[in-house]
Amino acid sequence: MNMAFNPFEMAKEQFDKVADYLNLDEATRDFLRNPEKEYSFAIPIKMDDGTAKVFRGFRVQHNNALGPAKGGIRFHPEETIDTIRAIAMWMTWKCAVVDIPLGGGNGGVICDPHNLSMREQESICRGWIRQMAKNLGPLQDVPAPDIMTNAQHMLWMLDEFEKIHGKKQPGLITGKPVGLGGSLGRNEAAGYGLIFTAREGLKKIGLRINETSASFQGFGYVAQSAVQLYNLLGGKVICVSCWDQKDNCSYAYRKKEGIDPKQLQKITDKFGGVNKTKAVELGYEVLNGDEWIDQEVDILFPCALENQIHINNVSQINPRVKMIAEGANGPTTPEADNIIKERNIFLIPDFLANAGGVSCSYFEQVQNNMNFYWEKEEVLAKLDVKMTSAFNAVYKLAQKKNMFMRDAAYVIAINRVVQACRERGWI
Amino acid sequence: MQKSNLNNDNLPQFDRQFFSSREKIMCIGEGSLGGKASGLNFVQRILKEKILPEEFPSVEVTIPRLVVLRTQIFDQFMERNDLHEKAYSNLNDLQIIYAFQQAELPVEILGDLRSLVENVHIPLAVRSSSLLEDAKYEPLAGIYSTKMIPNNQANPDERFRKLIDAIKFVYASTFFKSSKDYFDATSHDIKTEKMAVIIQEVEGNNYGERFYPNISGVIKSYNFYPTGNAKPEQGIVNLALGLGKTIVDGGTSWSYSIAYPNSIPPFADVQDMLENTQTKFWAINMNPFIEYNPVAETEFMFEAEINNAEYDGTLNYIASTYDPSSDRIKMGIGTKGIRCLNFSQLLTMNEFKFNNVVRKLLKICEEAMNGPVEIEFAANILQTEKKMHLAFLQVRPLALAEEVVDLTDEEMEGEEVLIASCNSLGNGVINNINDIVFVKPETFDKKDTRLIASEIATFNRELIKKRKPYLLIGFGRWGSYDPWLGIPVEWPQIAGAKVIVEANVSQMNVQHSQGSHFFHNLTSQNVSYISIDLDSKYKIDWDWINKQQTERETEFVKHVSFENPLQIKVDGKTSRGIIRKSI
Repeated sequence: MNMAFNPFEMAKEQFDKVADYLNLDEATRDFLRNPEKEYSFAIPIKMDDGTAKVFRGFRVQHNNALGPAKGGIRFHPEETIDTIRAIAMWMTWKCAVVDIPLGGGNGGVICDPHNLSMREQESICRGWIRQMAKNLGPLQDVPAPDIMTNAQHMLWMLDEFEKIHGKKQPGLITGKPVGLGGSLGRNEAAGYGLIFTAREGLKKIGLRINETSASFQGFGYVAQSAVQLYNLLGGKVICVSCWDQKDNCSYAYRKKEGIDPKQLQKITDKFGGVNKTKAVELGYEVLNGDEWIDQEVDILFPCALENQIHINNVSQINPRVKMIAEGANGPTTPEADNIIKERNIFLIPDFLANAGGVSCSYFEQVQNNMNFYWEKEEVLAKLDVKMTSAFNAVYKLAQKKNMFMRDAAYVIAINRVVQACRERGWI
Repeated sequence: MQKSNLNNDNLPQFDRQFFSSREKIMCIGEGSLGGKASGLNFVQRILKEKILPEEFPSVEVTIPRLVVLRTQIFDQFMERNDLHEKAYSNLNDLQIIYAFQQAELPVEILGDLRSLVENVHIPLAVRSSSLLEDAKYEPLAGIYSTKMIPNNQANPDERFRKLIDAIKFVYASTFFKSSKDYFDATSHDIKTEKMAVIIQEVEGNNYGERFYPNISGVIKSYNFYPTGNAKPEQGIVNLALGLGKTIVDGGTSWSYSIAYPNSIPPFADVQDMLENTQTKFWAINMNPFIEYNPVAETEFMFEAEINNAEYDGTLNYIASTYDPSSDRIKMGIGTKGIRCLNFSQLLTMNEFKFNNVVRKLLKICEEAMNGPVEIEFAANILQTEKKMHLAFLQVRPLALAEEVVDLTDEEMEGEEVLIASCNSLGNGVINNINDIVFVKPETFDKKDTRLIASEIATFNRELIKKRKPYLLIGFGRWGSYDPWLGIPVEWPQIAGAKVIVEANVSQMNVQHSQGSHFFHNLTSQNVSYISIDLDSKYKIDWDWINKQQTERETEFVKHVSFENPLQIKVDGKTSRGIIRKSI
């Protein structure tokens, strides 16, 4: 992670631009450009070797005007409060742009799960909940998996929360395992949602998806399901990049005739790292991790971390690229945005493109509340309709006002949140 | 709007704004549209050109809006769910349906289907449109299933579930036993079959718990049962109140020759007419509380009594009334009395120029398809506006034999004649039949016709397996919907018969069958059909039949065989048919 880069500053810059456009008053700006609540706390745990270690945990609730705060919990060794703040703010806009009754939040723990046993990770999860138990709940703040956390982590957290409160509350947390309050389709939702918006975007720029090719940054659960659906729709993925824990650097794996998603998944670990040796055996070219952006493809899918397309590498984008669909949160800096706009590359902004995950989380909560669970076909159908409608609303505004897609998405989202805040009499 | 790139039918890909657009047909996926959908796409173009509004100002002819899931979706569904092995196995129909219902439709189409049910609030017909339905001489009419869904639940989740259940049901019907039997009988390989699915708005109106059109109709270029002055080539129309299932299943409908719309069918008297015109009709069940039964084709359909239509106000223009004082049927429903569905205002008064529209539709379809055709339609009468809305549902080619056969009077009689008739269908010479399956006259009773049908099916299966075409002889109407009027077989149960004889006996002396799809199969496979009236001068030589080698015998049915084949001739021009004994 580039330490010089501050995602919260970027999020505020993006907000300010739209606030100017919407002519928001000072109080509204002040209220929305900062989180409503922040929690920072210590999580002491006993390690497997008998020593004690203290981890730093965070939770930020940016805004809950539209509904309970909603957002992931990230486990990352380079986690910062500003990253969490930025993502909490983006979550507010994300829920608003797809029109679901949730606010924005995010949390995390500074830790590296690669170096932690399952028992140690469980202890961190339970410790995190003990610190936050009074400030979470289905009607307050609803966490979900994020970077390097998964259904197992969510279940530990839910279990600890239910123990503390002495009752079952499956709606506390989303991304739970199926059968224990989780929703079918949750694993695919974020990636499929990304491709649903890309599919609609391609229609608008007159490209047939089955005649396009793409390069992905990241091969975690978002990218894996996105690659799978893109492939089913006839698209050809020629490059995937990911972090190599062993070599402590990233690599891009390229196959010009198109990768086989199932084959690649078989040699990928649970953190999205591809086994380099096996990839070479399967005929993949191994390139420097940054080269995912140089590929001669129609679409770039940044699906890893924030700040991946910036002023220093935006010029490397191949002239053939017609679209960027952001699977990660905040992968493109405002400076890079300007170049992308100049080059007339169609951009589907992060908080719209990757809203599939949170949409499905919302569906999961609805099912938890009903205690009645939908078939996978129903979940994915609803997801498609939700994502497509949101995309079309943003596209329509962008066309009507001749705006960049990111700006149009912000206008819709911020307007909805501002309206809710005003109607509640807050500002 | 994107056009499909792998197909040359130039149909637009489904767009979620479809329902506010002027498009009538859109498709999802790639591959073939299948026979039915191709026919509709074809007709859509010619209707626009050939039927001008000024020609029939009170009739609007359209195609109900439809979405086609092309065959690629079927392929994806089969492959991704590993269904081929189960589909081609000997699992029974229920097991096949269950396996298909458990499978998932391709994720790519789910959003489109969901948006479809969110935008449409009238009943939908989910219909098969298979690859081989395209083939002129091997139509699979009536083999695959259609499922009607009310699509009226308040919750779109519920409507979505019903729609996807219906699609999977139609896919499953590709591999039902009747379908496999048909493929065996026609020496096609079922593995070459692919299914497109049509999702179409149903033409009709909502009357509380019932949704149905005023009129359903089938128009055919060729009249298989000409009466009076009518000639075979002048065509025939069958009309019924409610959904077309009445006609398709061979239920009671009103038939007339296009050349003589005023001529009534040959009823013995008024009483006979009242007893043999439509008294029930099919409708979509709009009741919100219906037993969940996704394995039934008629899950959301039911048969209503005619008095319900009277209550709904849908008998205007189509019903007449029995006047006991004059013992006559009087046009219209102005007075109380027993209703008779004889469509007399449309046919006698030619309201809406109805028969002219029928004639025109038939003509343009025959010209376009360069041969005889069969058309299905549904019509609604807008009473306050005095307008008719006619929905064109299907067109397909009607295959007829072309071989010339002349039968002289002398040939019809003599010791060597087993069966002769002046009421035969089909045309040609057949001399490869060494087997007869017949309903035994001595044990026949009309209360047993359902049992007889199932016994015949077992003989049929055996002979199909052995690849032996056979002569089938029975009593009453073959394929009758009403088991008291004949033997209620479905086509696959007798699909191995090459010649079918329909005789009357004293306890079952009825008008010969009118089963619409049934005869389409007969003619398309050049199956000859010979009818013998009770009072005909020609009789069946039962003694000779009973002297032949018995292969197998059940309570009601017997199978005999002989070394040399029968000599069979049917003269299509004179409707004469003769079967000579094996010598």
